[in-house]
Amino acid sequence: MNIKPIVGALLSATVLGISAPAFADTELKVYISSQHQPQVWRKVLDQFEAANPGTKVTIETGGNTSEAQAQYLNTIMSAKDSSLDVLILDVIRPAQFAAAGWTSPFAGKDMSVYLPAYAEANTVDGKVVALPAFADSMFLYYRKDLLEKHGVQPPKTWDELKAAVKKINGAENNPDLQGLSFQGKAIEGAVCTFLLPYWSQGKNLVDNGKLTFDKDAAVKSLKLWKSFVDEGVSKKNIAEVATDDTRKEFQAGNVVFAVNWSYAWAQSQSKDSAVAGKVGVTRLPAVTGGESATCLGGWEWGVSSYSKNQDAAKKLVEYLSSKDASKYMAANGSLLPTYASLYQDEDVLKAAPWFADAKQVVETAKPRPVTPRYNEVSEVIRTTVNAVLAGVTTPEDGAAQIEARLRRILR
Amino acid sequence: MTTQTIATSDRIEKAQPGWVKLLDMSDRALAVLLLTPAAVLLTLIIVYPVLRLGYTSFFSLSLTSGLPAEFVGFENYQLMFTDPVFWETTWNTVLITLITVPGALIVGMALALLANLPFGVQWPVRLSLLIPWALPLSFAGLIFAWFFHSEYGVVNDVLARFGIEGVIWFNSPNLAFAAICLTIIWKTSSFMALIILAGLQTIPRSLYEAADVDGAGRIRQFFEITLPLLKPAIVVALIFRTITALQTFDIPYMMTGGGPGTSTSTLAMYIHQNTVSFLDLGYGSALAVVMFALSMCVTAVYLRIIRTKE
Repeated sequence: MNIKPIVGALLSATVLGISAPAFADTELKVYISSQHQPQVWRKVLDQFEAANPGTKVTIETGGNTSEAQAQYLNTIMSAKDSSLDVLILDVIRPAQFAAAGWTSPFAGKDMSVYLPAYAEANTVDGKVVALPAFADSMFLYYRKDLLEKHGVQPPKTWDELKAAVKKINGAENNPDLQGLSFQGKAIEGAVCTFLLPYWSQGKNLVDNGKLTFDKDAAVKSLKLWKSFVDEGVSKKNIAEVATDDTRKEFQAGNVVFAVNWSYAWAQSQSKDSAVAGKVGVTRLPAVTGGESATCLGGWEWGVSSYSKNQDAAKKLVEYLSSKDASKYMAANGSLLPTYASLYQDEDVLKAAPWFADAKQVVETAKPRPVTPRYNEVSEVIRTTVNAVLAGVTTPEDGAAQIEARLRRILR
Repeated sequence: MTTQTIATSDRIEKAQPGWVKLLDMSDRALAVLLLTPAAVLLTLIIVYPVLRLGYTSFFSLSLTSGLPAEFVGFENYQLMFTDPVFWETTWNTVLITLITVPGALIVGMALALLANLPFGVQWPVRLSLLIPWALPLSFAGLIFAWFFHSEYGVVNDVLARFGIEGVIWFNSPNLAFAAICLTIIWKTSSFMALIILAGLQTIPRSLYEAADVDGAGRIRQFFEITLPLLKPAIVVALIFRTITALQTFDIPYMMTGGGPGTSTSTLAMYIHQNTVSFLDLGYGSALAVVMFALSMCVTAVYLRIIRTKE
């Protein structure tokens, strides 16, 4: 047997293998949340690759909720794993990532180009720890066609919403039609569920890192949500409903009103949506006598401090956070822009006309408490909301538990 | 032939004093040599982490604080006593163990006796025993989460066909707990059945034939022959099952996420939450030490039982 060709092949393979890195591209891996349309972000990455020959970007996704993604990233980052270069982070996480030293700061970055809320959310102790990916807040989605048919105006208060549902459901007489869908499962969205009516009463949860818990307002908030279940406005298994369940139910035409983030718009207008062209979006109702309040959402791009390609990763994040990328994602993925001027942009408004009024809502949206221990704060609130909606805990006990447990965390 | 054998054994006996000692020594050396890699591996992946866990449990170490680790003595353990969630999750874990271990034993025993019947074709029976066991825990959890879903689930659908109104399983702590226990029993009884089946097949048929001759009935045969001879297999199955029951994580995590509230959360889930979500490694380690101690106690009790049996 002649082994020369084999040896030759092996040798040349080795030579190629050794020499390959010399010409190789810089390879970057970006972690993107699966619920934020990685396929649309891919197009933005393609544009970046075209503008930066020699750089190759791949996407990693995983987990379908903010908590699942946080757990995954916590594992990766606490192991000081260098496999991810760029990470997308929920707006509530930069403080935690900064405290753990997991993201590389952007020295000298001018944050005034962004909406003020996002300049603030990404600056921790005077350092820019991440750059905004997109803005978001919660809105009230409603069935324009049903409201018009029954002569109902979009509700300004939660009580008006209840009355509207009773009127519409009474006339429609469709047992599959649910009045209001919101998030009752013990997920991040349930934190906002609790805070919406709480804030609407003019109360704050945290002021300057100190807990300013108002028990009466908390009881009132929990009672309001429970009353939607008890009065048949929302379905009885609302404690099982997560954010994307709300989106799917609404899209299937089974819901009159829904509390959701901006991403639900693009899908509600898609070809396979039962409600395309029948959807209205407006600001969330207030408690009677209060002001409308909404939860500040949005996600941020961070560079892993363990990335071996710091400069290339920062360049990519600057691009992903640029006005062009923001505009592309607004027009193609209905992700709200982080630049004020894009809310008046023609191309953006053609895709999502309601963005014209959305800027004001985002600008008045309230941030959830900013603390490195946010995961604990969140867990306390969401499990209590879940327990109250399932009827396991009374609103009074629930509020007392939230207060007692938050006091331990936010000392 | 015979003489040759004797001669050979004679020669060995004669050579024994010097030979065997040498052989013995090199055997021992060989044994040490062969065991070293396994010992090193075990030290690296079990002994070191366990010791490290115990060490960390005496520190205040939270990655969210931005502070370096600080020695706090037994503070993490003291914190546990006043932590209602710790007691709730520990109680849930104990309850799951007390319900699902005997549950899986009874169902597993029945399945093993069934599979041991002289079927014409054996493989479909064995295969159906293997499938639940081979399924990853989290898959089983996801599948049953859908089964018990109040709107789309097959359980409520079947109930409706019998004219019973479906319930919202995951809205009630008791129903959610029941659903979790049913799933765990379904998932783990096949493992019990496999071990018991192996035990059943070691029981000689002649014992039953003799019992038949003596006029013992089927039930008497089960209690006098099958059960006593199965005891070693059952104890082994119980040890494995109890330890995994104390570590229950995947199925409740996938089915309820611990809800409603924290009513179906287990100790393993609470450890995971403290370490992976809250990044409180000190407290999480202390909780893990408690779970480790709990598992060791249970194992010790079982080993005791085996020893007294012998």
